[in-house]
Amino acid sequence: MKLKILTLSFSSVVYLGVACKSDNSQDISPDQLFAVPANFPNPVYDFSKNPITQDGFELGRQLFYDGDLSRDGTISCAECHSQPSAFTHHGHDVSHGIDNLRGIRNAPPIQNLAFQKEFFWDGGVFDLDLFPIAPIENPVEMDEKLGNVLEKLRKKEKYATLFQKAYGSKEITTERFLKALSQFMNSLVSANSRYDKYVRKEVGGTLTEEELAGREIFKQKCASCHSGELFTDQSYRNNGLAVYNAEDIGRARITQNPKDNYKFKVPSLRNVAITAPYMHDGRFYTLEAVLRHYNESVLDVQTLDASLKDGQKLGIQTATDEQTKLIAFLKTLTDDEFLKNKRFAAP
Amino acid sequence: MKNISKLFLAVFATVVIISCQKEDEIGPNDKNSLSIEFDNRIGDQKLVLGSTKAKNALGEEFTVTKLNYFVSNITLKNENGEIVKFPNDYFLVRQSEANSLIITLKDVPAANYTELAYTIGVDSLKSISDVSQRTGVLDPASYGTDNMYWSWNSGYIFFKMEGTSPAIPANNMMGMTQYELHIGGFGGRTAVTPNNLKTLKFTLAEAATVRKDIAPEIHIINDVTKVFSAKNKISIATSYMIHAPAAGTVIAENYAQSFIVDHVHNDKE
Repeated sequence: MKLKILTLSFSSVVYLGVACKSDNSQDISPDQLFAVPANFPNPVYDFSKNPITQDGFELGRQLFYDGDLSRDGTISCAECHSQPSAFTHHGHDVSHGIDNLRGIRNAPPIQNLAFQKEFFWDGGVFDLDLFPIAPIENPVEMDEKLGNVLEKLRKKEKYATLFQKAYGSKEITTERFLKALSQFMNSLVSANSRYDKYVRKEVGGTLTEEELAGREIFKQKCASCHSGELFTDQSYRNNGLAVYNAEDIGRARITQNPKDNYKFKVPSLRNVAITAPYMHDGRFYTLEAVLRHYNESVLDVQTLDASLKDGQKLGIQTATDEQTKLIAFLKTLTDDEFLKNKRFAAP
Repeated sequence: MKNISKLFLAVFATVVIISCQKEDEIGPNDKNSLSIEFDNRIGDQKLVLGSTKAKNALGEEFTVTKLNYFVSNITLKNENGEIVKFPNDYFLVRQSEANSLIITLKDVPAANYTELAYTIGVDSLKSISDVSQRTGVLDPASYGTDNMYWSWNSGYIFFKMEGTSPAIPANNMMGMTQYELHIGGFGGRTAVTPNNLKTLKFTLAEAATVRKDIAPEIHIINDVTKVFSAKNKISIATSYMIHAPAAGTVIAENYAQSFIVDHVHNDKE
């Protein structure tokens, strides 16, 4: 609690537009750059090294939507992370990158990254500032070199102005480039769903009986992994999926520990209703298919998560009416203000 | 006359003594630079990228087309056991860039240095540092097409050696025409992952004597055939593609033994 107050007071000093609030019922109005929602944990990101400013945010937004981050100018970050789908690539199991090449994983949403300790389905990147290098240099995503990107930006007059405004000089460096992107991404906080308003007891925060029943089922059957207000414990687990791509060993790719074979990060469920398809490889196109997997097709594989084999049957069993309620609840996590906030849209 | 010559002798002797003392004297504030030359060789031959051929311990022929490695955390110990550290000097040795083969430490206090140590790679503290600290050879934007940074598994490639070999299986699954040994892994930030940081220590048979007018150069020979054989016998036929820390451990253990100090130059400026 003390920490949260500290963070809040810190936020109000550092972040533009954050009004001081003495009570905890803090809602984020669309003109704020970043604030810790009252029902959220403390951020993981170290803002002291990169405080968000209006000009830094604006530079980051321009970069996020700029195709020049890719080899041939066709693929911007937003190509696979589009706002109306909570910054995922809606409808694509795996994304199409440059030259229509496909990767092996489903593009996750970009939301609440300041609260996330690792990135990617396997957690291979531990610092948001270092993240953009990966898609930029991945041959099937943007297939460019970071150095070339900076060179291209140096030739565009627009960026001389934007860097000048954000940093006080025109100089374009790796640090400035990456930190501006972090400023934009950190500002993408989704915390104004109907569920949030319900738990914060705000106007518009009413859940139906069915949704409330769904929430109770969720607490019993899902919240051990999809825990807390981020709806993930940020751990890596094997949920018994059939292996379609043996080479993608998940977390073990990073730890190189066989105990982590085929484990993937527990995803947040915020905006889950509009971020189909699901799983690390986008194999399930509906929430119903996901629940069906947990009901009947969890495989007894070597690294299967213990929580999926403590019952009589593998997986998580839910009756049909329970599934309806669960999905009704999950839909309350959709945050329309976030999805439609014009400040996050293409400049 | 006699007296004069005596006086002259005395003065002369004094001058000699003073100048002799001066030569050996280590002024408390005297400093100079110290260089380390990395002379990469292939067995008993000069290493010419793409040309020089040699055989490893298993008789597999190979060439080297690329050889890069980071040198960091250099320490020098003088004859009194005092240690001088250079924690902020990171060097990237690239065989293709002649300028990078001699690295220079500046403002080294005058002393007789009898021990040298350095790390091949980028230490864990720097590997997890804020992006503001990643400048110069640590700037991920600086590598062009010869990358020394893993973006998918945050960390630097400590040591990179690539080349040709008839031992690489034809029509291999990965379509590789060259062997690629990319070694990294600093131990992980949020989880324990393989650690391939190697710190090499050398005793200098001939001390490096830093003086106001002496900037020594330590000449190191790195025999790359040992990368395949110093401790672990590596077969190019099976290990032609190493791109992850665990698989690289056997290679790191090898290059930890591939460097020797050959001699030291203590020439006056």
